[in-house]
Amino acid sequence: MEHRIDAWLILAVVGILGASLVTQNAVTEVVGTQLLARQLLWACGGMLTLLALSRVRLDLYARLAPLVYIGGLAALVAVLFFGEIRSGTRGWFAVGPLTLQPSEFARVATILMVAAWLGRRSGGGLSAKEAAVVVALVGATAGLVALEPDLGVTLTYLPVAVTALWLGGLPRWAWIGLILLAMIIGFGAWHTVLKDFQKERVLTVLDPERDPYGHGYQVRQSKIAVGSGGVAGQGVGHGSQSLLRYLPAQHTDFAFAVWAEATGFVGATGLLLGYALMLYRIGMAAAVAENRHGLVLAILVGSWLAFQVVINLGMVLGLLPTTGITLPLFSYGGSSLLSTCAALGVVQSVWRHRLVNQ
Amino acid sequence: MVLLLAVFLVFGALHLRIAQLQLLEGSHWRRMAENNRLRRLPLAAVRGRIYDRRGHVLADNLPTWNLLLFPDEARNLGETVLFVASLGVSEASDLHRRVNQRGIDRLAPMVVGENLDWEQVTRIRAHQSDHPELSVVAGFRREYPLGPATAHAVGHLRLVSQEDIDLDPQLDPNSRVGAIGIEALAEDFLSGRPGERWVVVSAVGRQLGVVRESSSSSGKDLAVTLDAELQQIAAEALGERSGAVAAIDPRNGAVRVLYSAPSFDPGLFSGKLSPEDWKRLAEDPRHPLQDRCLQGTYPPGSTIKPFLALAALAEGVVSPDWTVQCTGGVVLYGHRFRCWRRWGHGMVDLSRSLEASCDVYYYQLGQRLGIDRMALWLEIFGLGRRTGIGLPSEAAGLVGNPEWSRRVRGTPWYPGEAVSVSIGQGPVLTTAIQLARAFAVLANGGRLVTPHVVVDPDNPSPVDLALNTNDLAKINRGLELVVHGEHGTARSLARLPVAGKTGTAQVVRLTEGIDSDDLAPHLQHHAWFVGWAPIDDPRLVIALVVEHGGGGGSIAAPTAAAIFSAALDEARESQASQGPGE
Repeated sequence: MEHRIDAWLILAVVGILGASLVTQNAVTEVVGTQLLARQLLWACGGMLTLLALSRVRLDLYARLAPLVYIGGLAALVAVLFFGEIRSGTRGWFAVGPLTLQPSEFARVATILMVAAWLGRRSGGGLSAKEAAVVVALVGATAGLVALEPDLGVTLTYLPVAVTALWLGGLPRWAWIGLILLAMIIGFGAWHTVLKDFQKERVLTVLDPERDPYGHGYQVRQSKIAVGSGGVAGQGVGHGSQSLLRYLPAQHTDFAFAVWAEATGFVGATGLLLGYALMLYRIGMAAAVAENRHGLVLAILVGSWLAFQVVINLGMVLGLLPTTGITLPLFSYGGSSLLSTCAALGVVQSVWRHRLVNQ
Repeated sequence: MVLLLAVFLVFGALHLRIAQLQLLEGSHWRRMAENNRLRRLPLAAVRGRIYDRRGHVLADNLPTWNLLLFPDEARNLGETVLFVASLGVSEASDLHRRVNQRGIDRLAPMVVGENLDWEQVTRIRAHQSDHPELSVVAGFRREYPLGPATAHAVGHLRLVSQEDIDLDPQLDPNSRVGAIGIEALAEDFLSGRPGERWVVVSAVGRQLGVVRESSSSSGKDLAVTLDAELQQIAAEALGERSGAVAAIDPRNGAVRVLYSAPSFDPGLFSGKLSPEDWKRLAEDPRHPLQDRCLQGTYPPGSTIKPFLALAALAEGVVSPDWTVQCTGGVVLYGHRFRCWRRWGHGMVDLSRSLEASCDVYYYQLGQRLGIDRMALWLEIFGLGRRTGIGLPSEAAGLVGNPEWSRRVRGTPWYPGEAVSVSIGQGPVLTTAIQLARAFAVLANGGRLVTPHVVVDPDNPSPVDLALNTNDLAKINRGLELVVHGEHGTARSLARLPVAGKTGTAQVVRLTEGIDSDDLAPHLQHHAWFVGWAPIDDPRLVIALVVEHGGGGGSIAAPTAAAIFSAALDEARESQASQGPGE
């Protein structure tokens, strides 16, 4: 028995995609019209993917998950050898005129795999061994992404792991242990792994005027862009921060700042409501899922997307350090858009295959 | 669901942040955006040119490219400094120091490169997107066509100092003002006012348009009384020797020549002066930076004699017929004072005393006059005090007297010193411009003019000293004989219609039995010639001193001859009457 697709979610996604295209259109002066055309193409492809994947039966996702996951792992390994390098990260396959970023798709594969595994097992909380399996499933793909190295995308695997462990059920002492472990790793990383520019980014959040023309430059320009939007914005295509290129990475990481500068508080609020609606509908899908597999799938997708929205906006608004995490459905990028739509398609499959009496 | 609730709480926080930035702080951030895109560029005011009396250019402006750094726009100042240094426009260490020593005006643009060549400009343009903080702007570089020949008189520029900015906050801290000479004297006239231009600038440094602009107002061109050709001839005549030439028009005090040797290239100061160049100039043992015309004080030697003679006649202590028997020396206060001519001049009257420059005559004359009257009269002729030429750093010189000795020197006055003063030695020091002015009094019939380089209605008019014309005529006759007489000390000038006086200023006192030719070069006497031409219609007074040049007759007079003969060239003179500065 299949239900109709969730119109509210489609509305939210179409709204966000529309705002995204408006923004990409506004920055064509800066980044060229070619990207707008591609993004339009990706948006259409994304919608088709979403609709197509929503028709796939839920149990098929569980059955195919290992295959998809192994494919994802293989792609991640392959990209380390044959991938293209962009600004120091070897993370892209060239496919004709387009490029694909396997780390984005592998995240969906990981979610499918973890959900399938968690959905099959029954009973109480995770044993230490089972928890290790969850961590290993996420860690394998995330580790390969970290090797590219792509810090931003690696970080987006984190909410998948944490939410999976939470859904699986861990005793309280394990959480305390994990938090302590995270603090130790964080402390250790601060003194060893993190490079100086990454530390500066963190310190800049704590003290924005620390180095306004050095490490604080991007965030400062972003805040100027958002703030100067005022109530109603400067008008699409009229934002001086964007037009005059003071704003960095305006079609990707800082795309929200372009939107906020152009449309002001009204537009920013609207976009935020769009994401809230989308996440709410994902939550609804989880609530009505016919089985544990569907529930886990929806929640993992939702927590991942929520994480990415919060981290990106936190960065654009100068509340969190710069990490290179994009705004899902909004920032330019075909792989990100397609994989997000695919994940939403899977969530729609959950929605459509809910129990009859609900 | 807990998760959804948590997400919405975080969303709420983000929304509050958006409201804070856009609603509460919106105007603040909008102002920041304005600051981002608007940039103030100073528009250099063209400094006025300086012309000589005939319209020859003494100071000009060459268009040039300068490199401005906007420190607030730099993402990494250290990297910018390295980039600028790699262009070869400035030294990294020097630039680092300047960047780190920025004062209150931290964000003001600073000139980090001057006089860029085309290759440097294109390299900066090529890297403009990496360095939006750098901006190539058009400017002007001061150029002095005659170079060293006019260095002290015309002067040169210097960067404005903090004191200048305190006085005039509108000043661009990167601009230059006159440091010495006419450049400093006429600063306000020449400088003009810089303008400013506000331009919209993209993050990659491209200037997209002008928002508003107040244009600069150029400085005014200035014609001065100097004579470029005579400056050059004076420079050639002095050659490698140290010394000074000051020449004025005795009729009105218009300065024709102010040349001090050794000189330097004033254009060095138009750009950034390299430490090596500065060291070379400042540590040169011959002190090229010193202006010997206005700051070099020398004993006048025998050039003082006509003034003491005039004083004696005016005071009535001697008559024109008074004679002295010169036997080569005289004993006064138990000390033998020698005449420069060891075997003496025999019977010497006023005219002969000047022609042959007899020292014994003036020892006796000085005795009759006394130090106080000598000092008084020397000051009447403008010796030992500033002429008021208006150029910076003029030295006063000195005419000593007993009161000065007590007050300044703190020792009693020795009567023997008065004997020295009567031949221009001892505690009497004058500058070349003072002597030129004093001789102008003789040449123009008794009027004390104020030397000036710029014709200005406010210039003080000549002061009539009310001298007896008969006395004056007798003195002038003696000075004519100096050049044209049988016994004259400046007969090498005899082919020219010149009257004047030689002088030899002792650097050390000669003891008995030592000849001046035996002295080491740096102890040799300074040689003077001061005189005017033409004799009957004086148009030019030249005061010339050659440091350690030996005797005034043998060195100074021939050097003056070259300048006089050029000045007397009829063709030039007729041309001059049409030129400015009269």
